[in-house]
Formats: sequence, structure tokens, C-alpha cells
Amino acid sequence: MQPVPQPTADETRANASFAALLSALSRPGQIQTLPTSGEAGVIEALLDRECRVACADPRLLPQVMQTGALIAEIPQADHVFLGQMTTAAPLNDICIGSDLYPDAGATVVVNATFDNGVRLGLTGPGIDGETTVQIAGLPADFWQLRKQRIRYPMGFDLFLLDGARVMGLPRSTTLEVL
Amino acid sequence: MSLSSLTKPWQPMSYGFLDASAKREIRRKMLKAVAVPGCQMPYASREVPMARGWGTGGLQVSLTLINPKTCVKVIDQGADDSVNAASIRRFLAQVSGAPTTLDTLKANLIQSRHRIPEEKLTAHQTLVLQVPNPEPLRSVQPNMSIARQMHGDADYGRMWLQLYEQIVRSGRVMQGASYPAMVNGRHVMTPSPIPRWDVPKLHMAQHLTILSAGREKRIYAVPPHTRVEPLVFDDVPYRVEDHGDLTCHRSGARGFFMNEIPLPDGSAAHEISDSEYGVKTIRTRDGEAVETGDTWYINGLIEDAT
Repeated sequence: MQPVPQPTADETRANASFAALLSALSRPGQIQTLPTSGEAGVIEALLDRECRVACADPRLLPQVMQTGALIAEIPQADHVFLGQMTTAAPLNDICIGSDLYPDAGATVVVNATFDNGVRLGLTGPGIDGETTVQIAGLPADFWQLRKQRIRYPMGFDLFLLDGARVMGLPRSTTLEVL
Repeated sequence: MSLSSLTKPWQPMSYGFLDASAKREIRRKMLKAVAVPGCQMPYASREVPMARGWGTGGLQVSLTLINPKTCVKVIDQGADDSVNAASIRRFLAQVSGAPTTLDTLKANLIQSRHRIPEEKLTAHQTLVLQVPNPEPLRSVQPNMSIARQMHGDADYGRMWLQLYEQIVRSGRVMQGASYPAMVNGRHVMTPSPIPRWDVPKLHMAQHLTILSAGREKRIYAVPPHTRVEPLVFDDVPYRVEDHGDLTCHRSGARGFFMNEIPLPDGSAAHEISDSEYGVKTIRTRDGEAVETGDTWYINGLIEDAT
């Protein structure tokens, strides 16, 4: 009888973070909970030396660099951490992949606040009919720019973070400001 | 910064067999696969202690998702007890310490080869399908690069041509397993070699489905509540196998996908293909109290999810 392997603390955290991220992205609009607050869980679960990361929030840089990921400008980055956004302009530069390789479209992580602010109607894969969410803390033209940039299947995938809470908005989600 | 802060303590083996960088790569690709339903995302496909083509793709996805609380079920062509299913289940339990089950209702993670269970899957369950050939266009376009361009252009005319030729030659669509299906109205995918009977189960389902081809190094997904429409002509409707009025010779149940068992006199008997569901129907017939979930098919007919 072999001993039963035990996950390390890192492994448990990364596994739980990814479970929350996968669940959030496959059910847009539903809020999931990460094991840790902020971007740390996302960085730990997804990033390593194969990634190019753009990081607007300098407080995240030490952890990102520890993963071995290459620090890049936004147009070259496959993971973009925009922190608390004051202007939606960075969305203009985010890589949206190509029709041949939609997976080259970036994963974008942004801080926001849930349950107040703009009301959004979401439809698309992962949503049973239509769902309504409320999101605050993003620049006014954020949703307009997202709509302009996404040319499905090209586009970027958003994770909105409010503390340890996370909401996923994949490029397949159609969004209407109510 | 010291050297020890850049490394992790030595371990005899990574939890869940795959090393951390392999898991991170699969995680990133799974997210992209979910974001573009039905679109094949390339991934590295690491070595696992199993030959390519025996479910290594599904195994890598399962190993990435698994944790000690995940209850795992493994199916091979409907059966929980075939050699392939039993060894994958034992391997998953051995490297992760996760509990295993045969009961569809109790499982959180279901890895399957070529069948989807008869009982409805729910939102807290994930289905991982093993895929031998992820490219639906291969029979009409063997060149992978051109096939990728065709997916990019949503150029699927030849798929309909192939179905049309089958109807002209044989009077009906001859595609049995791997029936091509349009996902989210954009990408045609092969739903892995599940019978036609199982394809409607993916349409607007409650659960997340991840399809992974280890040998071909492609991963794709069908999120919950996503349209999965088999390619058909307006005047030639989609038909599942005519199993609706077959009777299981072991339990007497009707209206499910059956395995055909040839008999010496040339006739055939049938038994329910989903082995654990078959066991449940036998127990129910014998008067035991068995918890049976809702099934997708009722009296051999699937309810229309739309």
C-alpha cells in the first residue's frame, strides 16, 4: 500500500483558485470566491515562465516576477493585470489573438466592485437565458470599448476581482448596459 | 532574494502526478477553451504513465482539476468496470487520494470515453471526455493548417456536403459516433465518439464539459447552457439511434442506449450501456431502495431543452 499523497499548501491554493476561475468563466455573471484576496491566487494558479505579463499595479510585480514570467508591454502580453482602472484606454492595446489562434487573446484581470453601479444584462454561453449583474469601479467607457474590441472568436477574457470575489466575463458573453 | 526563496521543498512526487508547470499550462488552455466554446486550443500534452490514445488527454485534465475532495467516476464506453476505466480510476485515486465512485449522482468529476451517463448531470459536476480525433474536418481536409483556416473562416460547407453524400449514397446519414455539432453557432466540433444518442445531452446542459485529446494535443470545451446543434438539413431531421423501444434483457428497462449482445442463434439481446445505471434499474426491479437521478431520456425520448 502506497502512502496517499497530500497536496502542499501551494498546490491546494492554486487548485482552489483555478476551480474558482474556471467556474467563474464558465458561468459568466456568477460570483465565485478565491481562496485568497486579490490577484495573488490568479498569479499563482496560471503564471509561469511561459507567460508574458503586463502589470499596471506595481505592487503585484514582485510576485509576478517570482513566477519567472516575462514582463511585457500590454500589446505583447498574454496576461494583463490592470488593477484599479482610471481610464479604459489600455483596453485598446490588449492582444485579441487571431481567427486562426483565438487562444492568443489575453486574459485580463481588473479590480471592480460588485452589487452596485452600472447594471449589465449578460447573455451567451454559460448563462441560462439572461442574467443581470451590477458592477462599479470601472471607467465609464469600459463596456463600450470592450464591445468594440471583441470580434468573436477574437477577443480577450475578463476576470473582475472584488477582494476574494471573482466574476468571469469571457469574450463569448454579450453584454448590454441597462 | 535567496536561492531557497526561488525553489520549492523537495517532494518525492508532485501531487496529482503532473508537475506544477504542466498544470498551469493546462489551466491556461482550459480557460481559453471555455471562453471560445468548441474551438480547439493547442496544448503541450505531457507524458503520463499510459500510452497516448488511451485517454491521456482526459487524464491530464482530470489530474489538473482533482483535489482530495473530488469524487471521481471513470467510464469507458458506458462501463465503469472495463480495464481502461478501472485502471484510470485507480491511478487517479492513487496519485490524488481522491474518493472514487461508480454512482453518477455522487461524482464531481466524470472522466468518460465515448459515452455520457444516462442520468442528468448537474451544475456541480464536470464531464471530461477523452477524444481520439478532435478535428471534425479531418475527413474532408486532412491538412491541419488548412483545416484551422477553415475553422477561422467558419467555412463548413464541406461538412454538409459530406452528410449530403451519405444521404445520396445510403438514404440516410451514416455518421454514427462523433457526429459533428455546431457549438454556440460558430465552431463545429466533434463531440468525441459518443453515439448520436448522447449529442443532445450536451445542448444547453447544466454541466461543464471539457474535451481533451492527448495524442493530438488539443483541448476544447462546452460550457453550461451552450448551444450544441448537430449539423442537419432542414428537411432531414437529426435522428438518434433507434434504441427507444429496445428492452434490457437483464433489468427489463426500456428507452435507454443499449449494448447489443449477439446470441448463438443469430438474434441479439440488449443490455443498458451505462453499466451503473443498468445496475440501478436491476436493483429497483428487485425492490431495493435505490436513488436514481432524472434521466435525459424518458421513455426513449429526450425532452427538448430549448
